[in-house]
Amino acid sequence: MTEHKGLLPGDHFLLGDYAAAEGAILVGCRFFAGYPITPATEIAERMSTRMPQVDGIYIQMEDEIASMNAILGASWSGIKSMTATSGPGFSLMMENLGLGIMLETPCVLVNVQRGGPSTGLPTLVGQQDMMQAKWGSHGDYEIIALSPGSPQEFFDLTIRAFNLAEKYRTPVLIMADAEVGHMTEKVVIPDPDDIEILNRPLVRKGDIEPDLFRIYRDMTQCKGDACVSPMALAGEGFRFHVTGLTHDERGYPDMSAEGNAWNVERIMNKIRDNLEDIIMIEEINLEDAEVVVVSYGISARTSLWPIELARKEGIRVGLLRLITVWPFPEDRIRKLAGSIEAFVVPEINMGQIVKEVERCAAGSARILGVHRPGGEVLDPVTVLDTIRRAAGRPTKDHN
Amino acid sequence: MTGKKVSIEEQGHLSGYEPPDQSDWVTGLHPMDNLLRGERLPHIWCQGCGLGTALTTFISALQWLEKNKNWDLEKVAIVSGIGCSGRIAGYIRLDSFHTTHGRAIPFATGLKLANSELKVVVFSGDGDIAGIGGNHFIHAARRNLDITVICVNNFNYGMTGGQVGSTTPHGARAVTSQYGNFEFPFNLPYLAAAGGASFMARWTVLHARRLEWTLREAMEHRGFSFVEIIAPCSTAYARWNPDGKGLDPQGLRRRGLEVMKHYQTVGKISPETHPKDADVKVDENGVITEIVEGKFIHDPKPDLQKAINEMAPAAEKRWLAIRQGMQKRPLLKARTDQVPRTELQLGGFGGQGIISAGKIIGQAAAIYDKLEACFTQSYGPEARGGAAGSQVVLSSDPIHYPNITEPGSAVIMSQGAYEKYAPLLIVGGILLIDEGLVKLPDTHRDDITTHGIQATKVAEDMGNVRAANTVMLGFWTAAVGAVTREAMQYSLTESVPPKTVEINMKAFEYGYNAGLNLT
Repeated sequence: MTEHKGLLPGDHFLLGDYAAAEGAILVGCRFFAGYPITPATEIAERMSTRMPQVDGIYIQMEDEIASMNAILGASWSGIKSMTATSGPGFSLMMENLGLGIMLETPCVLVNVQRGGPSTGLPTLVGQQDMMQAKWGSHGDYEIIALSPGSPQEFFDLTIRAFNLAEKYRTPVLIMADAEVGHMTEKVVIPDPDDIEILNRPLVRKGDIEPDLFRIYRDMTQCKGDACVSPMALAGEGFRFHVTGLTHDERGYPDMSAEGNAWNVERIMNKIRDNLEDIIMIEEINLEDAEVVVVSYGISARTSLWPIELARKEGIRVGLLRLITVWPFPEDRIRKLAGSIEAFVVPEINMGQIVKEVERCAAGSARILGVHRPGGEVLDPVTVLDTIRRAAGRPTKDHN
Repeated sequence: MTGKKVSIEEQGHLSGYEPPDQSDWVTGLHPMDNLLRGERLPHIWCQGCGLGTALTTFISALQWLEKNKNWDLEKVAIVSGIGCSGRIAGYIRLDSFHTTHGRAIPFATGLKLANSELKVVVFSGDGDIAGIGGNHFIHAARRNLDITVICVNNFNYGMTGGQVGSTTPHGARAVTSQYGNFEFPFNLPYLAAAGGASFMARWTVLHARRLEWTLREAMEHRGFSFVEIIAPCSTAYARWNPDGKGLDPQGLRRRGLEVMKHYQTVGKISPETHPKDADVKVDENGVITEIVEGKFIHDPKPDLQKAINEMAPAAEKRWLAIRQGMQKRPLLKARTDQVPRTELQLGGFGGQGIISAGKIIGQAAAIYDKLEACFTQSYGPEARGGAAGSQVVLSSDPIHYPNITEPGSAVIMSQGAYEKYAPLLIVGGILLIDEGLVKLPDTHRDDITTHGIQATKVAEDMGNVRAANTVMLGFWTAAVGAVTREAMQYSLTESVPPKTVEINMKAFEYGYNAGLNLT
C-alpha cells in the first residue's frame, strides 16, 4: 500500500492536461517545476495537488527558463522530473533544453501548443511549434518528440516520454495542443505493476572506483544493454563534473574541433542508432492505399472522419499517424512514396511537417498540404476535398 | 610543492587557522589537493585575480566543516553559471555543475529540492547572479530555499573583456563605458534583503580569514544564505579604473595587489550597517571610496523545505478521500443499445454550473454508461461572469471529431446563450430552456422542438439556487434519452459537494419527471 501511495488507478473522466500529469505520476515523476500559461496551466494545477500526495515536489518557478533548469537539477538528484508550457514559455525553455541535451539529462517537457506567433491565441489550438521542437535550441542535436491525439493518449505518451528520456538519457518533448489539453474524455489509469517503467542506467557507490568513473564513457564500453552511459547522481561520492561546454568523457571542457565532433556525434547517434526503438507510428488502411494522409496529434484524429468518408466514396486512402514526430520516420515515408500517388498532410500551421514529407518523398509522390494557422481544428470538409484532389477525383459531391 | 614537513604548530599565529588535513602535509601534497581537480590546473584566471582567493577560502571553509562539524563533503554539490567565476565548479573536486549563464540558481533549486540531503552551493559571478540571473536570485531569496549563493563581484564582465555590468559603480569606466558608467549599480546586500534572504554577508578577498568564517557560517545556515565577495579583476576592470592607474599594463599581479591595497584603504568592517546603506561608495570618477563589510542579515526563519514538508498530512487526507470515493463507485452493466453520435450544447452565464453540467453528463456516459464521451468547454476571458458554454459529444463508436458540428439538443439558461446557440441546432433538434431566464422572441425557430422548465425558480424553492443546472440535467436526461438515469445519478453524486447531494438528487428527479411527462 505504501508503495502505491497517492496513486489513483481506475477509470477517470479526465481533462487532457490532467491525464498528462497522472501519466507522469504513474511512471514515477516526483518533481514538477512550471510557470502558469494557458493552455498548459492545468498540468501544473494537477501537479500542485498531486505531488504532495505522492511525496513529490511541485514548485512554481519565476519563469519558464527557471522551470527548465529546475527539472534538470532535480534529474541530477535522481528524481524523474517534468515541466509543461505552451508557445511563449517553450521559447524561453529552448536555452536550457540545450543544456539538458548537452548534459544528457533525462526529463520531460510538455508543450500544449496554442496559436502563435508571440502571445498569439492563448486559449486556442495550434500546431505551430513543430519545427521549433526540432530546431529551437542552438547547435546540432537530435530530439525526441511525441504527439498525442486524446487525453488517454496524452496519458500513455507521457509514460512513454519518461521511458525514452530515461533510456536515452535525454530530454523528451510531448507536443500536445490546446484541443487535446482542454478536452475531457475517459482515461484509464492502470496499476503501476501493469505498465513498463524504465529507469536510467545508474552507477552506485561500489560499482566502480570513483577515480575510474567516466560520466560520459563511450557507450560501447558500457556493461549491459544500456545504449547510453550510466549516470551518476549528486551526493553519491563520484565527484563528477558536467558542463554545457563541449566536453570529454570525464565531463571536462575540451575546446577543440575533435572534441566537438565526439560530443555532438555522441548525443546525436544515441538517437539515430535507435530509430526502430524510438519511432512509433500507427498505420491505418495503408495496404491498398493510393493516397496516404500523414498527420499527428489532434489533426491526425480529426482526419479519421474525412478518411472514412473518402473510403466510402471509393478512394483508397489510409493514414500514417506520427505518434513520434521527431525523429521523423524518413524510411517509412520514402518507401511509401514509391508505391502511392500522393500524400496529404493536414496540420494546424502554415506548413511544417509537410516539408519533411516532401523531403523524404523526394518527388516520388505528390504532396498536398492542408494548412491553416491556429484557432481551430482543421475543417473535415477541407481535408476530404484535399483527399479527393489527391486521388484525382472531383472535389464537389455530384450525387 | 616540496615534500618537506611543515610543523603545524608553527602556523598557530594565524588567528582561527586550522590546517585542513595533516596527512596531506606529511605526504607533501598541497593541503587542498583532495578538493581540487589537479588534472584541470593551471586554472584560466589571470594573475592578480581575486577568484583564486575566493576558491581557496571556500575550500578551507569546507575542510573546516568536514573536520569540525562532521560534514560529509560527498553530499556537497557546486553549481556555477558562466564566466570566469563559472569555472569554479570545474576546479572543485566535488559533484559540480557548470550550467548556463545566469541559471545556476534555478538548477540548484531542482537539485536541492529533489534531494534535501545535499548541501548545494551556487558559486558564480555578478553577471550571473545580479545581471542575467537577477530574477532567479531574488526569487530563491524570497522562497528562503536552503542553498548558499556565493557571488564573486568584480564589477564587470571579465571573461568577455571587461564590459559594464549591473554592479559597475556609477561613473566607473569599462570597455563599454569609456565615458564613465551612466547607469547605477545594484546594492547587492539590499537586493538580497528585499528578496528575503535569511543570511547575507560581504567581504573583499583581502579579508580572507573573515571571509572563510563567514562561508562556514553561511553553509551551516538553514535557509537562503548569500555571500558577496568583492574581488579584483586585474586584467579588465583595474585597467580602466584609477585603482590600477599608472601601473605597468603587463604587471597584472602587481595591478591586482594594488587593488587589494585599495580595498585595505576603503574597506570598513561594519556589520551594523543597514543593507540599504551597504552600497559601494564611489567618488565622481567612479573610484571606490568605501566598501562596508560584515554580516548584515541573519534571520533564522523557516526554510522552503520545511514549508513543503508541512503540506504532507493535508495532501494525504485529500488523496484518501478521492481514493475512497473511487473505491465506493458502483459498477453499472454495460449498455447493449447502440447510441449514435449525439451532440449537446450547453449555454448560460458564468456561475450557473454550465461547465460542471456538461462534465457530469460526459462522466455519466464515459464512466457509468461505458460510452465514448468527449467534453469540451469554451475558454476565454468571456467565461468569467459573462457567457459560458460547454459541449458534449456522446457515441457508442470512437469520437474522431471532438467538437460539435450538428448539435441535436441544447440546454440553455440565459438569453445570450439562446441567441448564440439556438440557431446552431439541427432541424428537428431539441431546445431545453430555463423558462424563467429565456424569453422566446416572435422569430423563434419553428423547425425545432422547444421545452421549458422553471429550473432556477424550482431550485430556489428547494433551497439552493445552485441546483438549477441539476434540474436542467434531469430534464435533458429524460427528454433526449442518450444517457441513463442511473449513470446520471451516480455521476452527480460523485461531482457535487457531499453536503448538497440530497438536494441535487431532488432537483434532478424533478427535472427528470418533468422531462418524462413531455408530449
